Amino acid sequence: MYQRIFGLVLLLICIGLAIVAWDYHAPFSYEPVGPRSYPLLLLLLMGLGAIYLIATKPAGVHEPADEHDHPLDRHMLIKVATCVVVLTIYAALFELLGFIPAAMLFGIVMSRLYDGTWLASVISGVVLAVGLYLLFDKALDVPLPLGILAGLEN
Amino acid sequence: MDTFSYLGQGFGVALSPYNLFTALCGTLIGTVVGLLPGLGPINGVALLIPIAFALGLPPESALILLAAVYLGCEYGGRISSILLNIPGEASAVMTTLDGYPLARQGKAGVALSISAWSSFLGGFIATCGVVIFAPLLAKWAVAFGPAEYFVLMVFAIVCLAGMAGNRPMKTAIACCIGLFLSCVGIDSNSGVYRFTFGSLGLADGIQFVVLVLGLFSVSEILVLLERTHRGQKAIEASGRMLFNLKEGAFVLATNLRSGALGFGLGILPGAGATLASAVAYMSEKRLAHKDNRFGNGDLRGLAAPETANSASACGSMVPMLTLGVPGSGTTAVMLGALTLYNITPGPLLFQNQPDIVWGLIASLFVANVMLIVMNVPMIKVFTKILAVPYWALVPAIAIITSIGVYAVHATTFDLFLMIIIGVVGYILRKLDFPLSAILLGFILGGLMEQNLRRALSISDGNLGILFASPITWGVWVLIAAMILLPIYRSWRNSVKRADRPAAADA
Repeated sequence: MYQRIFGLVLLLICIGLAIVAWDYHAPFSYEPVGPRSYPLLLLLLMGLGAIYLIATKPAGVHEPADEHDHPLDRHMLIKVATCVVVLTIYAALFELLGFIPAAMLFGIVMSRLYDGTWLASVISGVVLAVGLYLLFDKALDVPLPLGILAGLEN
Repeated sequence: MDTFSYLGQGFGVALSPYNLFTALCGTLIGTVVGLLPGLGPINGVALLIPIAFALGLPPESALILLAAVYLGCEYGGRISSILLNIPGEASAVMTTLDGYPLARQGKAGVALSISAWSSFLGGFIATCGVVIFAPLLAKWAVAFGPAEYFVLMVFAIVCLAGMAGNRPMKTAIACCIGLFLSCVGIDSNSGVYRFTFGSLGLADGIQFVVLVLGLFSVSEILVLLERTHRGQKAIEASGRMLFNLKEGAFVLATNLRSGALGFGLGILPGAGATLASAVAYMSEKRLAHKDNRFGNGDLRGLAAPETANSASACGSMVPMLTLGVPGSGTTAVMLGALTLYNITPGPLLFQNQPDIVWGLIASLFVANVMLIVMNVPMIKVFTKILAVPYWALVPAIAIITSIGVYAVHATTFDLFLMIIIGVVGYILRKLDFPLSAILLGFILGGLMEQNLRRALSISDGNLGILFASPITWGVWVLIAAMILLPIYRSWRNSVKRADRPAAADA
């Protein structure tokens, strides 16, 4: 069932992208193959694959990945959705607040999401944010945004 | 004779104190990453690329670091397999079959050390293979033109799908998705913006670090959410830590056979460590006539997949270095790292930058030695790491991932893109699509398009050039064989299935 829905979505995306790709023309060309044919070829192959997914029944064989994992019930879906939202907020705050505060908040919330106690979550969030900042920005020379803490540096 | 002088030169590079230290760090990090549940070599290598870049490591040191991490991961994966019965990654599944029973019989120390030894032997055999075959293949590959390369890459992709076992179609679709994603951004031949939808962040394409970390780290974080409830208890590694000579001799033949097999399968594009360990286990099980205790803690059942596993990890370096066609997901990541350094792998690499190639090969030897020396005494430390709970581990992985992505371009756009890719990856994973196929497709995609267009420029648009030389004929035959293989297999299965009820009736 899910496989068919996915096939349908994939097919629609392929058609949409193919329409977009149809207009790709090189203003002046010095080679026989333009920028358009290769992506179109791939979209065609993907579309055929999508039709295959729609047309065939997902074989009666049990998908091995699902044996050990929890079934995707409501509870789990809410958890996954929360996690995605938290990640997105983290990405948005990354430059706005700076790395340390964003990572601290993110670390605490993520810890809670993975069943850590409040105390453990707060400690691990603070330690991770500060520790990783020192490790990457100071020791490994990977520049990270300071954000609202920029005033403290100088 | 040339080979040996080059190899000597390579050891000169690999044994410089700086590179030795790099290799040591790499093996340590790799072992820990391989050990942690849900983190495999692909994540480990991908996370280190931006860091290696930021540290300003010279290309050969960066490659040595990545190769050491790769080997370390294959080593570390077995510790959680043996002590927890949880394979850290797909290629360690076979290790659990005999490793965990051994640990339950109180032979955890013996199991760990014999698997370390097997890994070492496998790596050693395969590295010797690399030394012998890589220069030969590189010499031969100089004759490859763009048409031959294009056909070869088609073969790599078909091979990946054909070897994928029960889901060739899904693998093929995943490959196409990867190939397509590589089209995003400015077309380098004509300057046309493709599929960017006006976004500046997409103009120079999807960064492959973003793709890798999205597909593997973010989706893994989401998958780990489902497993928070379960606590596992590791079996204490106690008693005798080292295997004795008798046990070593008992598995030696298995080691040699599985090492050669793993190397051969590692060379094939797309086959990789997972397939190699499975095939090695099955064939050894069939070969073992007397006291066959496979599945109940047979040392050979532990040695076979471990040897094959690391042999194929080394073997997959051959197509990557000589042809620029990666043989596994992890080498695909390494190839991406090389292109970040503006190094194009391929036959000319052997001529133009022997330091890099031979330094890497020599460092495979060095890393293997380091791993066995380090692993036997440090098993106690590593088992402690297994006890780290998810609530501390996952946030750390997530934050390090975000740093890795941010380090590439210093834009938050990449972070958002990574999350989107991660969610799509999670959905694909739930639908049983192999994510490493997307990655391989993505890496090959750009090369494939360039070579196709170059070939057709040579022939002025005539498709005949793709069938014009003996090399292309040979590869097309292999492609046909690889397409027919899964069809034949499913046909045979359906015949078997049809037979079975008939046999039950009789």
